[in-house]
Amino acid sequence: MARSTIIRRLQAVSVTGFLALGLAACGGGDSGSGSDSKEPITIGASLPLTGEFSQPGTAAQQGYQLWADMVNKNGGLLGRDVKLVVKDDASNQNTVVSDYNALISQDKVDLLLGTFSSLLNLPASAVAERNQMVYVEPAGGSPEMFSRGFKYLFFAQQATADKQGKVFAEWLTKLPEDQRPKTAAYPVLDDPFAAPTANGIKKILEAAGIKTVYEQTYAIDTKNFDTIVNGMKGANPDIVVNGAQSEDGIGMLRAMLKANFHPKWLYQTNAPTLGQQYADAVGVENTEGVVFGISHAPEADTPGNKEFVQAYDDKFGGSPPEDAADAYAAGEVLQAAVEAVGSVDDQEKLANWIRDNKVDTILGTLDWNDDGSPNGEFLVGQWQDGKVQFILPESVATTDHIVMGWKPGGGS
Amino acid sequence: VTEFVQDLLLGLLLGGVYALAASGLTLIFGVMRVINLAHGAFLILASFLAYSLWKWVGLDPLIAILLTTPVVFGLGWLTYKLFVRPIRTAPMASTVLLTFGLAMVLEAAMGTVWGNESTAIRPSYADESFTLGSLFLPKSQVFGGLVAVVVLLALGFVLTKTWLGRAIRAAAINPAGAELVGIRVASVAALVFGLGIAAAGAGGAIVGVMYPFLPGSHYAWIARLLAIVVLGGMGSLSGAIIGALMFGIAETMASAYISPAWATAVPYLIVFLVLLVRPQGLLGSRLRQDAVAV
Repeated sequence: MARSTIIRRLQAVSVTGFLALGLAACGGGDSGSGSDSKEPITIGASLPLTGEFSQPGTAAQQGYQLWADMVNKNGGLLGRDVKLVVKDDASNQNTVVSDYNALISQDKVDLLLGTFSSLLNLPASAVAERNQMVYVEPAGGSPEMFSRGFKYLFFAQQATADKQGKVFAEWLTKLPEDQRPKTAAYPVLDDPFAAPTANGIKKILEAAGIKTVYEQTYAIDTKNFDTIVNGMKGANPDIVVNGAQSEDGIGMLRAMLKANFHPKWLYQTNAPTLGQQYADAVGVENTEGVVFGISHAPEADTPGNKEFVQAYDDKFGGSPPEDAADAYAAGEVLQAAVEAVGSVDDQEKLANWIRDNKVDTILGTLDWNDDGSPNGEFLVGQWQDGKVQFILPESVATTDHIVMGWKPGGGS
Repeated sequence: VTEFVQDLLLGLLLGGVYALAASGLTLIFGVMRVINLAHGAFLILASFLAYSLWKWVGLDPLIAILLTTPVVFGLGWLTYKLFVRPIRTAPMASTVLLTFGLAMVLEAAMGTVWGNESTAIRPSYADESFTLGSLFLPKSQVFGGLVAVVVLLALGFVLTKTWLGRAIRAAAINPAGAELVGIRVASVAALVFGLGIAAAGAGGAIVGVMYPFLPGSHYAWIARLLAIVVLGGMGSLSGAIIGALMFGIAETMASAYISPAWATAVPYLIVFLVLLVRPQGLLGSRLRQDAVAV
């Protein structure tokens, strides 16, 4: 971890930790243990509502809220209303730990839902595991999550990070010789999700003989991407695979425009999934042809998806961001387990049920390996004419047209 | 060699904007001994104000500076009167805690008004560059650097050539003496706080064009700005400028020649080394220490 990150975290911890203590103190006592059947079922989560991950955090809160509304509208969970207890961890690894501890020991919630990004889910899931509580996370696809032998952790997306770009990378390597990229650059955010995603793509491309000409990791508080882009420009790659979160992906693309550096292909993780925000921030004309991995398609014909998209538009307006959909799906997984087991008291039973079963969600049907990692495939999205289209796998594609490469400025 | 010159230029331009953002922080500390941890939040607030003016009125963010700066000055003045003044004589830790709290309140307020979304101001020149042979100079950075020079010169002029500036410096060096010769130190302090915040306001409009931002971005800024001010010598304006340029160059050079992973760490390492040799920072003002001794 970079020194700056540590310094910043220390600064943030001192006060946010203090505030969290205060919040925890206020929050205690207003919810019971849930043995009375008329009491609502309380479900706790801590989300990054402020700080660096506030963007996905806020979307996830919307997703959880929509899911709870949907459950309550349909008669509740096991006939009881669902009540969410959401805390703000300020995108801080230490705060998220104290938040989940407080949710379990002071708020005494019946069930937990996960937080956002692998960075925060890594420590948070450890708290849940120690307390033997089921932890369904809407994000946190770092392979590192599932190498710890946890029994209560489940990831509610189709695949772990290292497989996020697999479908696209394999498609690239099957292109005719003259269209296939020969060289690749990998500027990657130091992040447990972004890094394995880019690495997964790199392995496939290198195996197919696509040479790595630039590979660098940058820290999360990097603001200035001009130097990185200058370095990549010198290496002149055919494809840039940018393992990014949100702001950094936008900064990277804009720095590429400033340096007049237009590689043939541009793949970015996460940032392009932000929809309109991404288009506004980089200029919609510069999105043409950008490729990315994504878990949810608003147009997809998956169970309950139409209702979810409609409910999102009614409550928050617009098309749901991927992160809201992932959170909603995490809720659906937990719901399926509780309804099948018929109780919230035996967490081990809930965990075993999830491990042994498939769940239909708005992301499609999910199922899990023994370690809690999912074993499906990500969708591949591409910006075309200012809109997100799903190009691969062909079975779920929203178009059969694939823009052959990144075309900033919208033309050429 | 071209690449080296390119990185050096990018570093200088980056440093220029850092200087603008850090100048207010060092000014406020120099005069009032208040470490304003809300400085980054005011900077981002100015970015959002410039964004709204650009989005809804179509005003160029560089012209918007003329509007955002007075607004943010007013906010700074008000902040001083309402929050800082009552605890001015309290130990420094209280003002640190107060301004940190302010930063969080501002972050939440911005999140409520503008949303926790990545926001970018993109006037026509935002992603264009001037080219100089094989070198490129991003236009937004060049304009940002120029505005920084103008604002810093104006700030320098006010501090050294005007009665207000003399009053400010007098109040900084010897508050009791300043009172004796008829300077109302309390009013001067409010003005300084406003001026310092206003400099962040000018910086915010520029920063908003250069980089995407969201309410939580202020953490990354305050960490950098504090390091720059400490490097330059707390309270010294020219120290902050030199510190900022060093910081900008160190960041780009580390990114280019060590690894981008070290880009945000190496500048802090330099701060650390400089402080080992010169604990008061590069141009740390000895006058301040004399004043404290008196």
